[in-house]
Amino acid sequence: MSTATPKVLLIEDEKQIRRFVRAALEEEGCQVVEAETMAQGLIEAGSRKPDLLVLDLGLPDGNGVDLIRDVRGWSDVPILILSARSQENDKIDALNAGADDYLTKPFAVGELRARVRALLRRSRRNSEAATPVIEFGNVVVDLSRRLVSRGGETVHLTPLEYRLLATLLGHPGRVLTQRNLLREIWGPSYVESSHYLRVYVGHLRQKLEDDPTQPQHFLTETGVGYRFQP
Amino acid sequence: MNKTRSPATSKPGRHWWISRFALTIAACIGTTLLATPLLGHLDLANIVMLFLLTVLLVAVTLGRNAAVLASILSVLLFDIFFVEPRFSLAVDNIQYLVTFAVMLATALITGQLAAGLKQQAQEVRIREQRTQALYELARQLAGAPTLPQVRELTGHFVEMQLAAHAAILQPADQLEEDIAPSRAGEIVHVEPHLVRVALDSGQLVRSNAVGQLGLASLYVPLRTSQRTRGVLAIDFGDDVDFLEAETQSLLEALASLVAVAIERLHYVDIAQRTELTILSERLRSSILSALSHDLRTPLTALVGLADSLSLIKPPLPATALDTALAMHEQAARLAGLVGNLLDMARLNAGDVTLRREWQSLEEVIGSSIKLLGNALATHPVRVTLPPDLPLIEFDAILLERVFCNLLENAAKYAPGGTPIDIVASQSPDLVTVQVNDHGPGFPAAKRDELFNMFVRGTTETGKPGTGLGLAICRAIVEAHGGRIAADNTRGGGASVRFTLPKGLPPVVEDEKS
Repeated sequence: MSTATPKVLLIEDEKQIRRFVRAALEEEGCQVVEAETMAQGLIEAGSRKPDLLVLDLGLPDGNGVDLIRDVRGWSDVPILILSARSQENDKIDALNAGADDYLTKPFAVGELRARVRALLRRSRRNSEAATPVIEFGNVVVDLSRRLVSRGGETVHLTPLEYRLLATLLGHPGRVLTQRNLLREIWGPSYVESSHYLRVYVGHLRQKLEDDPTQPQHFLTETGVGYRFQP
Repeated sequence: MNKTRSPATSKPGRHWWISRFALTIAACIGTTLLATPLLGHLDLANIVMLFLLTVLLVAVTLGRNAAVLASILSVLLFDIFFVEPRFSLAVDNIQYLVTFAVMLATALITGQLAAGLKQQAQEVRIREQRTQALYELARQLAGAPTLPQVRELTGHFVEMQLAAHAAILQPADQLEEDIAPSRAGEIVHVEPHLVRVALDSGQLVRSNAVGQLGLASLYVPLRTSQRTRGVLAIDFGDDVDFLEAETQSLLEALASLVAVAIERLHYVDIAQRTELTILSERLRSSILSALSHDLRTPLTALVGLADSLSLIKPPLPATALDTALAMHEQAARLAGLVGNLLDMARLNAGDVTLRREWQSLEEVIGSSIKLLGNALATHPVRVTLPPDLPLIEFDAILLERVFCNLLENAAKYAPGGTPIDIVASQSPDLVTVQVNDHGPGFPAAKRDELFNMFVRGTTETGKPGTGLGLAICRAIVEAHGGRIAADNTRGGGASVRFTLPKGLPPVVEDEKS
């Protein structure tokens, strides 16, 4: 991975959207490679080895989910999806296929830049050693000793609550789909039992959020899944 | 199919009997004439044999009654022409009386047996022919694509096998009419009351009295495993009294075949209609998603371009920056409107497919507040939920729309700095949610219309809007089986209240910790 200027591959068929996304990415200090079609995007992804992929799900020449699967076959590059609000199922498929995050059109430039920054930072951090102690708000989680404290006081979590917390903390800023979370924590036979997830996320919020109705760290991506925001 | 009328199915006429008896008499006389020259050469015992043979032949060819007649005639003729004294009924030797008795008995018994065998053979033949015809009908009915064709085939069968007319009546038909649809060009008159009785009881109904009035005399219910699909009315014409057990079982077999055929057509019809619904659903959603893509793409570009214009470095001169910000705001509003219109189109297009899951109300309220972000900056939201509120089954994306629209309205009309309250309460069956603000409230006169499309509380305010927000809320809440109403709080603020049915949430086992 290049350290100085990260390379971003932008796959989007609409010229005007490419224009302002490119401008925003360059503001973030990225070098931008553009692709108009899925086919071209796949070639560029292979030959340029980008540090981040920004992909529009509504490309005319094919299904973005297939491209994500292809790329995931040989690369861990972060993938950010751009999609319309009515495409919930496409979004979920893309995230299940390995995409990291999504933005719903129309989106604000500030939001785009924040997501890009978070994704680039994460891939940079992944190459460093992961720290066993994670802090957010007034909560400290020591993954090596399985200790959770809030405002200096120990918080008791059940084994499943702790596993859910550890899974979410393992992917900061990233959207985890309901399906993936259920499979990871409860096992493959529970992938349709989303009510378990609701109840346990509710427990985590009760124990770790200041205002469980307006959470700051354990965020709901409605109809899609959850995201841990440090 | 066999065009001739089978003999057992029709009543034999007077001529038929006369010709049979004439033939019987002729046979007996013929035997007498044949045997007379042989009188000197043959023993009387052998002449008796000739007569017995004649009786047997008559029994086989002409039936039971003819056999009885032939037996008596044979004994008489034998006595008169062959036993001494000839040409007289008197008998010289008393022994001959035994001969007569044995001869009569033998003739009667063999005649009966032979005729019985013949009749059985004939019945078997008829039964087989009917079975054959039923098979043929079953095959044709299985391929019949429409109801008129089923009527036609049934009518033809009844005419060929029973020489009667048939009509199929279904519960949907107008039974007040006494004319039933039959084969093309034919009319069967029915008695509506008897049709109703057969339909309701599921039993065969027969009325000869009605038959004599020129109406159909027999009503066979068309029963399937699930229900009675109609009635088969049979008009036997003049032969109203004629209904053998054999015919009745044939009609019952026919009725079950027709019932199955009608049921099959019924399900074919349902399957076709379902397929049509699916197709039109798919077309509608593909049109909407194409439209949505075509509208959103330029809007996304517009919002993004205006946004990046306002963020450009070095910053634009103040007036240009204001213009850029205004452009961004207007474009974002336009995007919101288009979103609302598309939502409304999708909801209005009929059967909304809900992606229902068991979810927590707390969560969807939280995500709505987060989604609105800055729009709620000057209106803190206070959420009060019962601590034991169960999970509720709803489509989270749609319910998030409801909360966003209600919160957006509240933020738009209530003065800045005032809070918005979301309060939920529960009864055994329902969860009721209220969104209250501290603004001017809804105008009393319009409160009921507010949930209609394009209706706005106050038409001439400077507040932007299309009057779609509450209409969308109503469509979504009603699709979930709930109700929505507008009211004002005691303090005068606007209050929208909606309900959601609770249902039976799935059990989440407690974890041992």
